[in-house]
Amino acid sequence: MADIPVRPPAGLPALAPGWTEHSAPSGHVYYYNKETKKSTYVRPIVEIHGLQQQHAAPRPPAPQAPFGANPNIGHVNHVASNNQLNPNFQPPNFRFGGPAQEPFQNAPQHSNPRGDHRGGHRGGFNNFQDRRRQPEDKPKHRSDIPNCAPWVLVKTKLGRRFVWNKDTNESFWKFPPHVMKAVMDFDHKEREKKERREHGQPSDEEDTAMAEVEADLAAVEEEMEKQIVRVDGEVGMDDDSEYEEVEVTDDEGEEANKPPKRQRTEEPTEDQAMEMGEDDIAWQLAQMEAMEEGDFDEEDEEEGLPLTEEDCKALFKELLDDTRISPYVPWDKVLENDGLYEDERYKALPTMKARKDCFDEWARERIHYLKEQKANQQTLDPRIPYLALLHKYATPKLYWPEFRRKYKREMKDSKVTDKVKEQLYRDHIKRLGLKQPELRSDLSNLLKAQPLALLNGSTTLETLPPSILTDLRFISLPASTRDSLVGAYISTLPPAPEGAFASAEEEAEVIRKRAERGRRERALAERERRVQEDRRKQERDLAYGMGRLREEEAEIERAMKFGKDGLKGQLGS
Amino acid sequence: MPPMRTAAGRNKKPPPEGFEDIEDTLLEFQNKMKDAENASHDGKKKHEMIWPIFQITHQRSKYIYDMYYEKEAISKTLYDWLLKNGYADAMLIAKWKKQGYEKLCCVRCIQTNETNFRSTCICRVPKKTLNESQDIQCVNCGCRGCSSGD
Ligand SMILES: [Zn+2]
Ligand SMILES: [Zn+2]
Repeated sequence: MADIPVRPPAGLPALAPGWTEHSAPSGHVYYYNKETKKSTYVRPIVEIHGLQQQHAAPRPPAPQAPFGANPNIGHVNHVASNNQLNPNFQPPNFRFGGPAQEPFQNAPQHSNPRGDHRGGHRGGFNNFQDRRRQPEDKPKHRSDIPNCAPWVLVKTKLGRRFVWNKDTNESFWKFPPHVMKAVMDFDHKEREKKERREHGQPSDEEDTAMAEVEADLAAVEEEMEKQIVRVDGEVGMDDDSEYEEVEVTDDEGEEANKPPKRQRTEEPTEDQAMEMGEDDIAWQLAQMEAMEEGDFDEEDEEEGLPLTEEDCKALFKELLDDTRISPYVPWDKVLENDGLYEDERYKALPTMKARKDCFDEWARERIHYLKEQKANQQTLDPRIPYLALLHKYATPKLYWPEFRRKYKREMKDSKVTDKVKEQLYRDHIKRLGLKQPELRSDLSNLLKAQPLALLNGSTTLETLPPSILTDLRFISLPASTRDSLVGAYISTLPPAPEGAFASAEEEAEVIRKRAERGRRERALAERERRVQEDRRKQERDLAYGMGRLREEEAEIERAMKFGKDGLKGQLGS
Repeated sequence: MPPMRTAAGRNKKPPPEGFEDIEDTLLEFQNKMKDAENASHDGKKKHEMIWPIFQITHQRSKYIYDMYYEKEAISKTLYDWLLKNGYADAMLIAKWKKQGYEKLCCVRCIQTNETNFRSTCICRVPKKTLNESQDIQCVNCGCRGCSSGD
């Protein structure tokens, strides 16, 4: 903390005779002339000539901040030295971002006793500084800006922030562009840290996006708070509060020796800054609007379609169902399925751990279901498991007695008679000698022959009717080819017609499940849309910020030009 | 005349029921194992050559453990048969059941007599007690850390 400025500004020139310094309750300083009964923000001074040297401590931002702020453009000090002014000169002055310059317009400048507009402006700098050196506000906390050495972010007691370059000893209220980027990153990280602490867990992708937006908004809010402080100060002008001793610094003498010429060259800066202030206000209003819009949207949607944790898991499980992946494979194998990542439902769950846990749960349920299904089929029609066995193991290389011997164990529970078994085996082997297109069209005919009550849009591969499962045409093709053909055909079918269900309860259950699924998928789509919107908004904000930086650069260029012209004019006079 | 069945075919008892459900996955592990065994030595140290073999053994054992204990997808009969026929490392699975060894990479890494320092392998040391940026990999099986806390 040793090298933090104890109080923002350095020394001040002496007040012109007849004027006294006062402090509004807000801490803003103003001046009052008892004789003329006039008050001003502008510090009326007695002009003193001389030179000033650079401070050793971080100095609060000076009025030329926006100039120095741009590393690509010749530093103001540099310009100053070209004009044979002291290159080290830095008038002490706290300064807000653009909008903070506004008070100059409102300040009773014409009441300046010297009646000199220019002088008024010049005084204005000092005055402004005075208002910033309120005893209430002083640097309180500093932190190095990561990846942006030697810049240091200094926070004042009133919660305002400025940046200070340890090497060059410059300080600005208005962050230079590259510093601003670093500070934004820094803020973002700090915010994330805070959130993690609050929630006790790392935020996922989406939260991060939100946090970024929030950090931006927080920055805007902060900017506005600064303005509020200023407005209070103006109101406080009428308050006849007590005189407060201005703190005197070691380098006051140096400050007081400010060359007036230098100040004149700075005037345009101030005018430009005022323009910039209006832009900033416009920008902030736009931000505020965007903020309100965003809030409204979110509230609206969240009330409309809630998406619970259970919903998210159900969505992911339905995705697993649709991939037709075996529940008997390890998780790594599931991840090899490219189609998985393209599906919106993949994002329903936030982390890989959540997905794996959900897969484990799904696999357990699914394996259980398949086993149940198998047992049911045995009781439903003993031929079903037998044909499934043939589908898996029968080969023209084995004659029936060989096959029977080899798969004796698998067939021991079968209720199918040996005679029927043998006949089915022989017929099946005969069919395996047929060509693929023929087998495909046979399967297609089998499917088409099914009444809608038995085979419809609600049917799954696990709930195919016995009329299909007991047909040899169903087991002639390899499983992968067959299942995709059947799946494709089912997807073209309309939902089950009324009365197709064994009971009204069963029908209601199917309808309920379908509705639930539809609701979840809509809610997910909504959430996805929201995330996209946030992302777009963020990009918009960023583009706005970038535009703002470019505008500033343009302003600086204009100001530089104006600065030279102004100087020329003076030299000419 | 039907072709004669080979002696090997006759002696080989068919696997218990349910094997067909996991057959494809086991076949994949078998292929990976073959690839690892036949991989060329180019530029690798001798001990690095056996790392993939340890890793596949670990993965396959984990898979069978998961199928039996976690997902209840296979019967006790099939599980025992798989262990007996070398599809899974029974010793390793026995360790996983013990607290603190849930993620153990291989049994060699907890055998103190084989290491130089008369202590367990570096991969058994919890990450938080190691230097934060320290990147470790054990010589036995190429494990990068298998402490339960990690
Ligand atoms: Zn290990
Ligand atoms: Zn090991």
